[in-house]
Amino acid sequence: MEPQVPATGTAEPSQSQPPKPSPPIPPPSSSSTPPISAPNPNPSPGPSPGPSPGPGPGPGPGPIQTPNPKPPTPTPTPTPPQPRPQPSFNRTLPPSQPTSQPHFPHFSSLPPSSAPPPSSAPGAAAAPRGGMAIGVPAHHQNPSPPFSSSFGQHFGGLGRTGVNVAESTSSSSTSQVRTPAQGMGMLGSQMRPSGIPAHQQRPVQSSLRPPSSAPNNQPAGSQSFQGHGLMRPSSVGSPATPSPSASQSVQSLNQPWLSSGPQGKPPLPSTAYRQQLNPQSMQQRSHIPPQQQSTPTSSQQQQQQQQSLLSNQSQEHFGQQVPPSRGLHVPHQQQVTRLQGPGNQKPSSLAAAQSSAVQPGIQNRLTNVDSDESCNSILSKRSIHELVNQVDPLEKLDPEVADILVDIAENFLESITRSGCSLAKHRKSTTLEAKDILLHLEKNWNMSLPGFGGDEIKSYRRQITSDIHKERLAVIKKSMAATEATHAKGSAGQASGTAKGSQAKAPLNIIGSPNLKNS
Amino acid sequence: MSNSSSGTGTSSKPRAASSQPSETSSKRKRGVFQKELQHMMYGFGDDPNPLPESVALMEDIAVEYVTELVHKAQDIGSQRGKLSVEDFLYLIRKDLSKLNRCTELLSMNEVLKQARKVFESEEFD
Repeated sequence: MEPQVPATGTAEPSQSQPPKPSPPIPPPSSSSTPPISAPNPNPSPGPSPGPSPGPGPGPGPGPIQTPNPKPPTPTPTPTPPQPRPQPSFNRTLPPSQPTSQPHFPHFSSLPPSSAPPPSSAPGAAAAPRGGMAIGVPAHHQNPSPPFSSSFGQHFGGLGRTGVNVAESTSSSSTSQVRTPAQGMGMLGSQMRPSGIPAHQQRPVQSSLRPPSSAPNNQPAGSQSFQGHGLMRPSSVGSPATPSPSASQSVQSLNQPWLSSGPQGKPPLPSTAYRQQLNPQSMQQRSHIPPQQQSTPTSSQQQQQQQQSLLSNQSQEHFGQQVPPSRGLHVPHQQQVTRLQGPGNQKPSSLAAAQSSAVQPGIQNRLTNVDSDESCNSILSKRSIHELVNQVDPLEKLDPEVADILVDIAENFLESITRSGCSLAKHRKSTTLEAKDILLHLEKNWNMSLPGFGGDEIKSYRRQITSDIHKERLAVIKKSMAATEATHAKGSAGQASGTAKGSQAKAPLNIIGSPNLKNS
Repeated sequence: MSNSSSGTGTSSKPRAASSQPSETSSKRKRGVFQKELQHMMYGFGDDPNPLPESVALMEDIAVEYVTELVHKAQDIGSQRGKLSVEDFLYLIRKDLSKLNRCTELLSMNEVLKQARKVFESEEFD
């Protein structure tokens, strides 16, 4: 089936292992990792029902969903709309993603770019996969192609870090499409970077958006890879669909994703596949763009497209995840087309670097994804600007200033969290609670936050004054009063002198006495 | 919302050093200012029936402010012996609106005392 592969499979270098990824992919994460790491050319959509580019919408989504071995047909369903691109599906990523995404209207832009990279790699083995695998040939159009190639490869790659994770997570989160692709999908979802997880974990990753796009891709990719062989266009498509929803910025990512392919692609298809089910993760789509391409077929066309774009993008973005994807995600969520544009651009650059870098970091990122702190930062510049707007609508910040503010905020959050965790550990608890953070802020930062503190009354620690101190204070007062009196009376020279003398002695005696007493 | 306070309330007791305090004192009662705060919030633009969470938050803020002020006054006043009105006025010296309001209220209090004294003495007459 993979005629399409050549077109789309441009990037997928991993195609060489098509057979591997495919079987493992279904099995969720565990197996996927190894295959993913290997640039499985095939993995991608294997099932791509339509390897022959045409499976069309039906088979497209189908294959993707069933990660690999099952190639194409069984799964296509989810998102029929996407299958379009199938024939050339870039989806198939695995073999080489050349899957020409020509079909996908929106992804059309992407596929070409993504296709070449994946196609190159997967070309070899991906042939069957290339077409569909990821992008569900018809549906996911853009995302898939990149996926496909990448899926195969990535699938293995995804597995390497996030994929497995993603799969596991995604499976749990998205139980929807649980086909074998799910495993991949999960990988993707988790691996934010790969963009796949985004799909699957839409609920989880929605917050992650930028990174999620990557995961999204993965799910799609994963799915597609499974099929390696021909990618399961359907499977590819499915991942793509989720990715669109998840990865908003699917767009051009496909391509870079394809190039970067190996990494997350395989999982992408599967995850994307699942993601289709969760349209909501659109946000994460941006990362997934590549994936989406592969799985376009799966979920609704729009979603798929978006997902695919996102997945593709997400994959690529893995490395960058936050920075590029963020921009992508936010705007893209809903529009696939939009995604494609930016996605395309980005993926190319990102693809190579990110794919490799992403994988290892994916796992870390996955966890951080939620907080967007992994590699990229907890905040985005956009939020800084919004904050400034709230303070003064006319104020403008220099970019360096915004950067520094972002750095300061991140450092602050990290130190707070670290201290809070230390306090929680001191409490012999494994849960970080509000009171830990509150205590740290109150003692070290002098920040009291009303509304979280509970009902305790703040006890007052009165100043600790020792008895000796009090006695001495009393003695001093007495002596002062005495001297004043003596001065007043002291008009008479002698009397005052003697008085002073006597009085002076008295205080000394008094002072001495407390000491004696104490001792 | 007495959530954790019940458990922690007892522990805070010993910290307070001094006295005795009863368990109840360590645990704060919620809703002490609820009714008044609702009216005040309405007066400042909120809904006639504000959300209970909003009222609780406002109460937390108010109680925390008063507690902080008293603690600081105690820190200052203990050096001189007892707490006095001067300590409080010293602490809000930077907040002009509050300071002026405080001095106004104190002066009115004096005026009323005088008036009562005169009234009472007149009665006897």
